[in-house]
Amino acid sequence: MSFSEDKFSDDSRLHLAQIIDNVNAGIWEYNINTRAIKWSTGFYTILGYAPNEIECSNHLFFEHLLYHQDKHIFLNALNNQNSAKPLQIRLLTKASGYHWFESTIKRHDDQNGHVIYGSIININQYKQAQLQAAKNDLLYSETIRIAKLGSWEIEAGTLNLTLSKQIYDIYELQSQVKLTLDEAISFFEPSYRSVIQHAINNALEFCQPYDLELLFRTAKNNVIWVRAKGVPIIDDFGKSVKVRGIIQDIDNNKRKGLSLESSLNLLTDQNRRLQNFAYIVSHNLRSHTGNLQFMVNLYEETELAGDRNEIFSHIKSISGSLNATIEHLNEIVKIQTEITNERSIISFESIFKNIQSAIKSNIDALNARIEYDFSQCQQISYIPAYMESILQNLLTNALKYSHPERQPLIRCYTLKDRNHIYLIFEDNGIGIDLERYGDKIFGMYKTFHQNPDARGIGLFITRNQIEALGGTIKVESTVNIGTKFTIKLV
Amino acid sequence: MIVSPPPVNACIIDNNTTYVYGFKKLLNLKNLSSRVCTFNNGSEAISYFKNPLNANNLPDVIFLDISMPVMDGWEFMNEFAEIKSQLGKKITIYILSSSTDINDIERAKKNSDISDYIIKPVDVSRLAKIFRDLNDTN
Repeated sequence: MSFSEDKFSDDSRLHLAQIIDNVNAGIWEYNINTRAIKWSTGFYTILGYAPNEIECSNHLFFEHLLYHQDKHIFLNALNNQNSAKPLQIRLLTKASGYHWFESTIKRHDDQNGHVIYGSIININQYKQAQLQAAKNDLLYSETIRIAKLGSWEIEAGTLNLTLSKQIYDIYELQSQVKLTLDEAISFFEPSYRSVIQHAINNALEFCQPYDLELLFRTAKNNVIWVRAKGVPIIDDFGKSVKVRGIIQDIDNNKRKGLSLESSLNLLTDQNRRLQNFAYIVSHNLRSHTGNLQFMVNLYEETELAGDRNEIFSHIKSISGSLNATIEHLNEIVKIQTEITNERSIISFESIFKNIQSAIKSNIDALNARIEYDFSQCQQISYIPAYMESILQNLLTNALKYSHPERQPLIRCYTLKDRNHIYLIFEDNGIGIDLERYGDKIFGMYKTFHQNPDARGIGLFITRNQIEALGGTIKVESTVNIGTKFTIKLV
Repeated sequence: MIVSPPPVNACIIDNNTTYVYGFKKLLNLKNLSSRVCTFNNGSEAISYFKNPLNANNLPDVIFLDISMPVMDGWEFMNEFAEIKSQLGKKITIYILSSSTDINDIERAKKNSDISDYIIKPVDVSRLAKIFRDLNDTN
C-alpha cells in the first residue's frame, strides 16, 4: 500500500502524496485506532526494496526490520506524546544488513483517530563515523591515561600556553586554571627549572627539539620524575611558530632505573674491590711462599751446620711475616663482612677525643697541636668501628709523618655540602710527592718514606672502610708543606 | 792452560731482606758470584752508580725487583736510562719479581734495557745459565 492510494484523496493530498513518494526519504504513518500502517515508496527504496516487495505490516516492522535492541526506544517514543526528538534506530536493509536511520515521530489527532507519523533517513555513514570517532576518542583518552601523558602547546609570539586535561592530572591541579609558561615551569624542582627553560627557549629560537627527564613537584607536593619532550613547529621561513610537546609521568620507571643503576654501581665497586683483594692475596702470599720455597731449597743445598742454622732462622722469620700478612688480609675481609653491621649515630667529637687520649703519649712526645671543629656536622650514621679506625689511622699517620723541624699542627673538621658529609684531615708534615706516588698512596704495602715503622697497610684499610660504605677519599699534598685528606663519608 | 774468567759482579735491588739473603747465599753456594752488592731500593742504587768513586765497582748484572718503597723498579729503569751512557760499562738488567701480572711482564718486554723477566723465587739452572752467558761475553 502506498500514500498515493486511498488516504490522501483530495487534490492537494494527492499532490503531497506524489511528492512524498518521490522524496528520497521514507515516510511512514500509523493509525493507533485502526492499526493501519502506511509506508511511502521511499520507505521501501531507502531499505533497498522495490515498492510492495515486502509486506507493509506492524509485525514485519517490529519483528523483522527493527533491530531488536532498538525496539524499546521506538516503542517508548510512540507512547511518549511529547517527544519531538528524532530517534536513531537500526533497520535491516535488503542488501547490506542493519543500517542506522534517523526517524522523526509526530502525533496527529484527527477525525479518523490518533495518527503517528514520521520520516526516516539513512544516517549510517554519519553514525558509523560518529561511532568510530567515539571509539577513537576513548582509545586516545585511555592511551593517554595509561601512558600518564599530557600534551601542551606554546605560541611563539605570545608565549600563550595551552594544556590538555591530562597535564592538569599530572600537575595534580583540581581545576583547569589557565597557567602562564612561567607558572608551568615553576612546578619543576628548582635545579631543573633552568634546564627546561633553556630547552624551551632553544626550541623557540633555534628550532631545536628536546627530550628531557626532570624532577617535578605537583600541586599536592608529590615529587615525581617526568619526561618533558618538545618539538618546534616550523613555518615556511624556518622560524618556530609554536612548540608542541608532552609531559609524561615516568616516576615509576625512572626510580626503578635509578635504583638499578645505583645497585649496579655498588656491584661494580664491590667487584673491583674483590678483584683488587684477590690480586693482593695472590701477590702477597706468593712473595712469602716464594721466599719459603727458596729457603727450603737452599737448606737442602748446603751441608754446613752454620749455614743451615742461619737459613732456618730466615725460614722462621718468613713464617712470622706470612702470619702477619694473613692477619692483614683478615682485617680486609673483616671490612667486607662488617658492612652488614648496624650503623649507629656516632659523634665525631667523642670518638676523636677517645683516640686522642689513647695515643696521648705519641702526641705529647712530638708536642703536636691538634685542633678539631665538628660544628658543621657533629654526628653521622656510620659503623662505629670504621670511624674509629679511620680517625685513628689518619691521626697516627699525621704524627708519624710530621716534619722534624716544626711543631706538628693537625686539623680535623667536618663539612656539609648538599647531601654529602665530608671529613677533612690536614697536617703540616713532610708531605708526599703525589706526582710520583699519586695512585699508589692508598695501595697495600706501599710506603714512600724511609720510615722503618711504615707498614703500608693503614691507608689501604682506611680507603677500604670508606669505600665499603659508599664514600671516597682524596689526598692533596706538597712535599715539606703538608698533607690534606678529604673524605666524602656519604 | 785454563784461565778462570774474572768474577761477575752481581747486584740485587730489592727491599725483601730475606730474599736478598737467600739470593746471595745461593750465588755463593753455587759458586756463581762471590761479589754481590745489594740495594734496598732504586734510589740507593742510582746514587751509588752516579758516584764517580764507584766507577770501578759497577756491577755486570742487576737483578731488579719491581715493588719497592721510595723508588720502585720502573722508576729505577727511567733513572737508569738517563745515566747508562755515562757509566762506561754495559750492565745487563733482569727483572726479578714475584709479580705475575701480565702488565708488568709486557712492560718489561717493551723496555730494551731489560734482558728478561724472571719470576721469583728463581730456578738455579736459569741463574747458572745467566752467569755462564755473562762470562762468555766478558
